[in-house]
Amino acid sequence: MKLSSFAKLGGVALLSALVLAGCGSKSSQSGSSKQELTWQESSNLPTMDLSKATDIVSAETLNATNEGLLKMSTKAKVVPGVAKNYTVSKDGKTWTFNLRHSKWSDGTPVTAKDFVYSWQRTLAPKTASQYAYIFDHIKNATKYNTGKASASSLGVKADGNYKLVVTLSKPQSYFKYLVANAQFFPQKQSAVKKFGSKYGTQSKYMVYNGPFKLTGWSGTNDSWTMVKNSNYWNKKNIKLDKMKIQVSKDPSTTLNQYNTDKLDVATLTGSQQVSHYKNNKDYKSFLNASTFYLEMNQKKDPVLRNINIRKAISLAINRKQLTNKVLADGSVPARGLVAAKMAYRNGKDYADQAEVKAADSQNLAQAKKLWAKGLKETGKKTVALNLLSDDTPAGKNTTEFIQSQLTKLPGLKITNQNLPFKTRLQRSQDGNFDLVISAWIADFPDPISFLSLFTSDNSYNNGKWKSTEYDNLIKNAEGRDALNAGKRWDDMVQAQKVLMNDQGIVPLYQQSTPKLIKSNVKGIQFFPTSPEWDWSKVSIK
Amino acid sequence: MAKYLAKRIFYIILTLFIVTTVTFFLMKFMPGTPLTNQAKLSPSQIHQIYKQYGLDKPLWQQYLSYLAGVVHGNFGTSFQFSDQPVSYLIGSRLGPSLTIGGEAMVVGVIIGIIVGSIGAVKQDTWVDTATTIISILGVSIPSFVLAVLLQYYLGLKLRLFPIADWGGFMYTVLPTLALAASPFAETARFMRTEMVDVLSSDYIELAKAKGLNKVGIIYHHALRNSLIPIVTIVGPLAVNIMTGSMVVENIFSIPGIGEQFVKSILTNDYPTIMGLAIVYCAMLCVVLLITDILYGLIDPRIRINK
Repeated sequence: MKLSSFAKLGGVALLSALVLAGCGSKSSQSGSSKQELTWQESSNLPTMDLSKATDIVSAETLNATNEGLLKMSTKAKVVPGVAKNYTVSKDGKTWTFNLRHSKWSDGTPVTAKDFVYSWQRTLAPKTASQYAYIFDHIKNATKYNTGKASASSLGVKADGNYKLVVTLSKPQSYFKYLVANAQFFPQKQSAVKKFGSKYGTQSKYMVYNGPFKLTGWSGTNDSWTMVKNSNYWNKKNIKLDKMKIQVSKDPSTTLNQYNTDKLDVATLTGSQQVSHYKNNKDYKSFLNASTFYLEMNQKKDPVLRNINIRKAISLAINRKQLTNKVLADGSVPARGLVAAKMAYRNGKDYADQAEVKAADSQNLAQAKKLWAKGLKETGKKTVALNLLSDDTPAGKNTTEFIQSQLTKLPGLKITNQNLPFKTRLQRSQDGNFDLVISAWIADFPDPISFLSLFTSDNSYNNGKWKSTEYDNLIKNAEGRDALNAGKRWDDMVQAQKVLMNDQGIVPLYQQSTPKLIKSNVKGIQFFPTSPEWDWSKVSIK
Repeated sequence: MAKYLAKRIFYIILTLFIVTTVTFFLMKFMPGTPLTNQAKLSPSQIHQIYKQYGLDKPLWQQYLSYLAGVVHGNFGTSFQFSDQPVSYLIGSRLGPSLTIGGEAMVVGVIIGIIVGSIGAVKQDTWVDTATTIISILGVSIPSFVLAVLLQYYLGLKLRLFPIADWGGFMYTVLPTLALAASPFAETARFMRTEMVDVLSSDYIELAKAKGLNKVGIIYHHALRNSLIPIVTIVGPLAVNIMTGSMVVENIFSIPGIGEQFVKSILTNDYPTIMGLAIVYCAMLCVVLLITDILYGLIDPRIRINK
């Protein structure tokens, strides 16, 4: 009896000691707040070869581990990167970048030659880069890319080790955004030669000049790390020591991992998760520069050439219901072709200035009136249209919703067709559709990234909408007014108004990325265009 | 035996050749391009890039150069994972799928044989009913439902096992259990039916009449004869499971091959589709060969004499 109660007492003491010890180690851990971040990705990292990369995971990883002449910043601004400063000639064609003395992760200097080599490599026909088109304003870039000019004729030259001179074939005010993109980062020739066909296929077959170095990436695995680069020129301002990236493709697994503190940042997927966490203090939604819109095939269907028919289709759709009830994933109604909160001039959002309310809002009575008028004008009583979209959950939900909205127009019959992305894309390009839900993700935060799609000869203009006025405005923005920022901006504002007033497309919604972020993680930067995420200012409080 | 083996290997090579050919041409009928930036490329730009990859050549030329590559052990490089050799891609992601699939097969089949045998021996009792119900559940509950349940209760609530990720034996337990349900149920059902048959046959009656003990009879006489149909189903089942389950692998974040097969088709990643088709086909052929050899070991009547 005595012994057993003694044992009990001892047991309790031991247990409480253990519990207390547990508490102690826990509190000391959170007190020191390790500068480490665990980040979730929904897809793999396919490559680190910037001449070949096309996806967002590659872009953000390249952006974290390398650095271009300039760096993207919030509100469509750029800040110095490897270039301390730059000047643009009066005719807007010559850009001169003065480079700082910075180093690669192997300790060798980053020079202007590394930029020249990198751009030449991306544009070399043999590389078969899928982003070569983004260099098209650089002198002889397209010619060199198609094998019609030599590498040495390309408009990028090193003037000594620390001065880079770029010659454009015509002025391009948004070139400053392009050089902040991964495609314009430097590459070290000796490293590319040394690693040969393995270059960029594993973390060890790369050199880095950015805030972090990539480690533990086997090229195909699902988790890798980024550690602080001790050779980075601005390392004293990098607070994060280490970042672990974990690929987690299943939405509920991701959430479970977040809730058990295995992840510091997690992406939410679908309406269920978003509606459940919408009011959580960790919830944040980030608006992407990606617009979803309806294209109407004017080449195939004469009825869609009628402006009243097109306007009726747009006016019949309740976009708020689409984003809040159907998609319910943080997306917002599109206010035109150009994404909102992407492009600014003098602090003003392009989307605010170029919006045509009547072309992106619902008015069923007006829609029915215009529809009846349109039918009369085209001499039709009934119209049957096929609505094409992707076979993703969001794609299916959207088509079902649009179908239900459009059948409110008397005599209109909509049949839905949801196909895998690449099949859908092929049909769009072949003009094999009546109505198609298309999406565009801008490459850089200038309205032209969207607007250039709908000039009459553009291959992405799947609906074959045509307007000479629009074509001229875009031509002026890219040519005559290219050096006059104010005029150029006005051209672009006017262009979207022309497109919307004629209902060349039906804007639907703008996509956003909903995330959960632990409250002790500070300083994550988000840009609506590539690379989207920047961790160079992150700290753990 | 040697002659038999040589003949079988010849057929395997023939099968592989046919599968390769059919897959190659079927795959080329799919719409879309293998380019990852297809949405932003104009037709002329696509043509330009096609030229670099030799994709603008006539189909038969592409086919011949692919075959020539395969004969030299070169399966090409992936489009999804830019420049990554397909052999490396498959090699590095097949391992985890094989590990989990293998574990699931061993666990599932062994428990299946035991449960099936118990059911047969205790035929028409509550034990038999219980084993039947369990195996019916095993067949009818999809592995991904089981995966989510296991993750929620054993991973999240009880914290017995990691919720997901990869890195050691503990990480394999939940996915193994989720995948083991189907081989377990299949084996248990076959085992029970077969064992009931065998137990009513004459030689078992004779053994009983001779006064041998029950355990001895079941172990020495009944079990071995009941295993023949199990061997038949286990082979294809093993290939099916070991080639990876996209859903289970995604739920437990396993860096396996399951998703690649689906994704390579959706993204027109031609070299990866071909590589995986060849690997899966070869695995199935080899497993079938092993199955046929195993028959002989279990049942002398099927043994090949020549």
